[in-house]
Amino acid sequence: MIARSDQELAPIGRVVATELKPSTPHQFHFWTATETTIGIGAIVRVGAGSSEQGAERLVYGVVTDGFAYSDLATPLHDVVGAEGDPTRAAGTPTTRQEIRYWTAAVLRQTPEEPLQPVPLGQVYVAADADVALALRMDAFLYSATPTAIPVGLYTSAGRDAPVYLDADFLLGPEAAHLNISGVSGLATKTSAVEFLLGSIFAHFPSHKGRIAAVCFNVKGPDLCFLDQPGDLSDEDRHRYQRLGVPAAPFERVRYFAPLKADGVNLNTLRTHADLIGTVEPLTWGLQEVVDYAEVLLNRDDIDAKADAFIDFLRDRVLGRTFDDGFGGTHRVQTFADLDHLFRSIFDGLEITSGGRSDTWRTHHIATMRKVRNRLLNISTRCKGLVTDDGPSSDLPWNEFADRTVYVVDIANVDPLGQDLVFARVVSKLREQLERRELGVDAIVVFVDELNKYAPGDGSETYVKKMLLDISERGRYLGLVLFGAEQFRSQVHRRVVGNAGTQLFGRMDMDELATPGYQVLSPATKSKLATLPIGELMVRHPHFTQPIFVRFPKPPVLRGRDGVERFPPAADVPFEDAVVRQLVQLDRRVRPNQVKDLIADREPEDVRRALAAVRRTRPDDVIAYFRKALGSRVTSEARVPREHQAVPPLNAISDEPY
Amino acid sequence: MDVETGTARADLVEDAELQAHPLPDRAAARVPAAVSFLAGIERWSVVAYDGVAPIVNAYVAAAIRRRDARGVLHTTSERSRAFAIAPLDRMHANLRQRLEQAAPDLEHMAGDLVESPVRYLEQVESTVRRIRAAIERDLAESWITAMRADEWLVVDGLLSRSPAVARHPRALGVIKSHGAQFLEGRGLERALTLQAGNRTSVFAVRGGHTRTEVYSWYVRLWPWEGNDLLYGLLRVEARADANTVGRATELSGWLWAERAPLATPATRWDRLLYPLHNVEEYLKALAPREPQLRRVSRLPKTGT
Repeated sequence: MIARSDQELAPIGRVVATELKPSTPHQFHFWTATETTIGIGAIVRVGAGSSEQGAERLVYGVVTDGFAYSDLATPLHDVVGAEGDPTRAAGTPTTRQEIRYWTAAVLRQTPEEPLQPVPLGQVYVAADADVALALRMDAFLYSATPTAIPVGLYTSAGRDAPVYLDADFLLGPEAAHLNISGVSGLATKTSAVEFLLGSIFAHFPSHKGRIAAVCFNVKGPDLCFLDQPGDLSDEDRHRYQRLGVPAAPFERVRYFAPLKADGVNLNTLRTHADLIGTVEPLTWGLQEVVDYAEVLLNRDDIDAKADAFIDFLRDRVLGRTFDDGFGGTHRVQTFADLDHLFRSIFDGLEITSGGRSDTWRTHHIATMRKVRNRLLNISTRCKGLVTDDGPSSDLPWNEFADRTVYVVDIANVDPLGQDLVFARVVSKLREQLERRELGVDAIVVFVDELNKYAPGDGSETYVKKMLLDISERGRYLGLVLFGAEQFRSQVHRRVVGNAGTQLFGRMDMDELATPGYQVLSPATKSKLATLPIGELMVRHPHFTQPIFVRFPKPPVLRGRDGVERFPPAADVPFEDAVVRQLVQLDRRVRPNQVKDLIADREPEDVRRALAAVRRTRPDDVIAYFRKALGSRVTSEARVPREHQAVPPLNAISDEPY
Repeated sequence: MDVETGTARADLVEDAELQAHPLPDRAAARVPAAVSFLAGIERWSVVAYDGVAPIVNAYVAAAIRRRDARGVLHTTSERSRAFAIAPLDRMHANLRQRLEQAAPDLEHMAGDLVESPVRYLEQVESTVRRIRAAIERDLAESWITAMRADEWLVVDGLLSRSPAVARHPRALGVIKSHGAQFLEGRGLERALTLQAGNRTSVFAVRGGHTRTEVYSWYVRLWPWEGNDLLYGLLRVEARADANTVGRATELSGWLWAERAPLATPATRWDRLLYPLHNVEEYLKALAPREPQLRRVSRLPKTGT
C-alpha cells in the first residue's frame, strides 16, 4: 500500500505564467534546474508558499511536454561565434544560460471547487501519498471496501510509487474491459496481462466474489507455461514486494488443447513429458459446431435461406430420429451421420424426380449443398478439434474455480477453427454467467491479436459481433475482455472505445500518427515510441491524464524460454498416445495392458473407445476402455435436447447504445 | 562601468613604439579554471515633479558570478541600492516631508540646475553612475579578499578606480567604450586598425581620472573591416607589473577565446564578453520593473 510520508521534499521548480502562456485550470508551466530528475510523465505537486496567493490550493499535474532553450537570439549567432566550426562551438569557456521549461497537465486540484487556474508556486516531486491523491486513487484505496488492483510502479526522480486500478472500473460493473496496444516482440502485451492477472488474483476484493481467467493462446508457446516459474531479477522482486503481488507463477492453471488430426496427440507446444499430463484435450462434436454454424459462414454465405436450413437441422434433425422423405430414417449425431443424410437427400432428389426437382422440404438444393460444404469442411480442416464422436472433452462450464487460469491453446488450429473455439467458449461463458452457473462471478477473457478478431474494417463476422457485444454489455455479466493488439487503430473503434482501461506499450510512429492518438502531446508520443520493455502508459477512468508505470517481469516462464526448458516432445506413436491419455485419466493403467488391448484394432474404433472413456471418466478406466473396445462403440446416445442456441446478436451499427 | 572621456597620459612599457602582437589560435588559449565576472546595471526615471523639480527613482546593482568547471555561471556576491534623487532644497516642505517618508534612501541633488532640465538630468545620470561605480568598487574590493588562490576577477569597466583591485595580480578590467584617448599618431593608427586576433603593445595608464596606475593594451576581438574602427576593440587593464607585460599575449588570448558565445542581442556584443552580459542579464532579471530607463507609454503592454 501507499506509504504516507510527511517528509517535505525540496522544491524542484517553480510555476511561471505569462500572458502568452498563462496557467489555466487544466494546464500550467514551470521551470526547473537544468540538471533535473523529472521528465515526461513525471507527476508533480504545486504548492504555493504560505505567504503567496492561493496558498491553500494544492495542484497535482503530470508533465506532458518539455522545452529547453538558451538565450541565443538566432542560430546564426552560434555559427558566427564558432566561426562556422562546430568543434569551436563546443569549446566555448562559458555555457549559455539555459532553461528547462515544462508543461504539465492538471491531474487534480484540491479543493476541487471552485476550479481555478493553477497558482504560481513551488513545484515538488510527488511522493507516494501525492501520487495516490493525484490519480484519485484515495477513493478506492482507503475506502472501507478497497478495490485497488496494482498495475505498476510510477517511477520518477529515483522514487517509485504504486499505481492502482479500481477493480470496479477494470472488471465491472463500472466501465470494465482492458485494451493493450504495442508493437510485437517486446514482451510487453502478453507480459503485462500475465502480471496484471496475477495482480488481480492477489488483490481482487473478496466482497466482489470469485474470479477466473480464460486465455486464448493464439500464437506459439506464449501462454503455455503460466504455471512454471521464470527468472526474476532482484529489481523485479523489489517491484513485486512494493506492489504487494506474489512473485510466483499462477497456482492454478488448466490447459486445454485440441487433438491433432491423428485424434490422439495433443496439438500444443506443451507436450514435454513433464507437462503433457496437465493438458486436457478439447474436442467437440457436431452439435457444438452447428450451434455456432454462423461462425463458419462468411459474409456471402449469410442469408435467410442458409439460416433457415441450419435452424431446420438444429431443431428437427440433430439428435432425433428423422425420416428423410425418401424412405430412409436417420439419427444424426456425428458428421458422418450428417454426411449420410445429405447423400440420401441428394440421391433421393436425383432418383425420385430425375433431377428435375431442386427443393427438399422448401430448402433449395444449392442452399443445402452450401451448408453441407461449410459444416463438413470444418470436420476436415479442424480434425482433432471437431470429432465424429460428440463432445468428449470440454471446459468445465459449471465449475470454474476461483483464481484459476484456463488456457485454451489454439495456436496451431486452422483460423476457422480458432474462430469457432473463440466464439463457442466466449458464448458459453456468457450463457453460464447469465445463469450464474459458471462457478465464478467474473471471468476475464484475454484475446491477443484483437485486430484479427475485431478489425476496424472488413466484413461483419460473428466473432466481431460477439466481441462488440461483450465490450458493450459484458460488464453487467462479469464478462471482462482483456484485448491486445499491435495496432489499436486497426481494431473496431467500439471494441477499444469500450475498454475502460487502456494500456500502451511501445508504439510504432505510424500508429501514433493516427487520429486516435491526437490527444497526446508530441513529447508523450515520442516517449511512447521509445518506451522500454516493462513500461506502460495507462489510461484509466480515475486518471485524468495518461500515466507511465513500470511493471515487473511476469513470474512465469516465458513462452520461448519454456520451449527451451521443456522442449516439445515429438508426436508419439498411436498406441503410446492412447496409453498416455488413459494414464492421464487413471495412474493405475499399465501401458502394456493398453497396447495389448488395441493391438490389431482399427484406429477409428480405438479413438471412439478413448473418446467414450474421456466422456464418461469412469472409476476403472481400463475396464471401461476394454468394454468400449469390445464392440463397436456407439456414439453417445443423447436425449434430444431443446435447442440452446446462443441468442442472436445485434447487427453491428454505428449506434453504440 | 567603463565610460571614460578626454585624454590621458600613456607610456609604452613594451616595445619601443606601439606594435601589433598576434595572438595564438583561440583553441590554444589558456583560460583560467576559476574566473569570476563582475558587472553592474543602473536604472532611473523621473517619477514625479515638484513644480519643475524632477523627483527621480533610481536603482543600481552589481553582481559577481563565478564560472564553474562546466562553464556555467553562478552568482557568488551581489549588491543593489534603490534610492530617490531629489533637489530637496527646492522642494515644498510638505512634499519633501512626504518624499522623505516614502523614500528612506534619498540622494540630495543640488537645486541650482533645476531651472535647466536637460543639464539637471545629465547630473542625475552622472550621480547614478557614480553610485553604481561605488557599489561595483565595493563589491570588487570585498571579493578580492575572498578569492581563491588561483581565481581571476574580470571587471566590466575600469580596473583603476580601486587601488586594491588595480594592484591585484589576478584582476582584469575590460573596457568597451573608448572615450579616453591614450595614444596618438602612429600608435593610435596602429591601435585603431588592429587586426582581429591581435593586441597592441602594453602601455601604462595614469593621470586623468585614474587614481591608480595600471597597465593597459588593446585587443581586437572581431574584424573591424566593414564596420567602424572601434568594432570589436577592447581595452584591457591589469596590474602595473612586469609580469603583466610578460603575460599580455596569454591574457589577450584568453579574452579572445571569450568572444564566443556571442553576447547577442546586446547592441555592443562585438565588445561585450558573454559572461559579463550574463551578469547584466541576471541583474536585469532581479531589478524592479520601475524605474525604467526609457520613457514609455503608460498604456499596458501586451505580449500579443
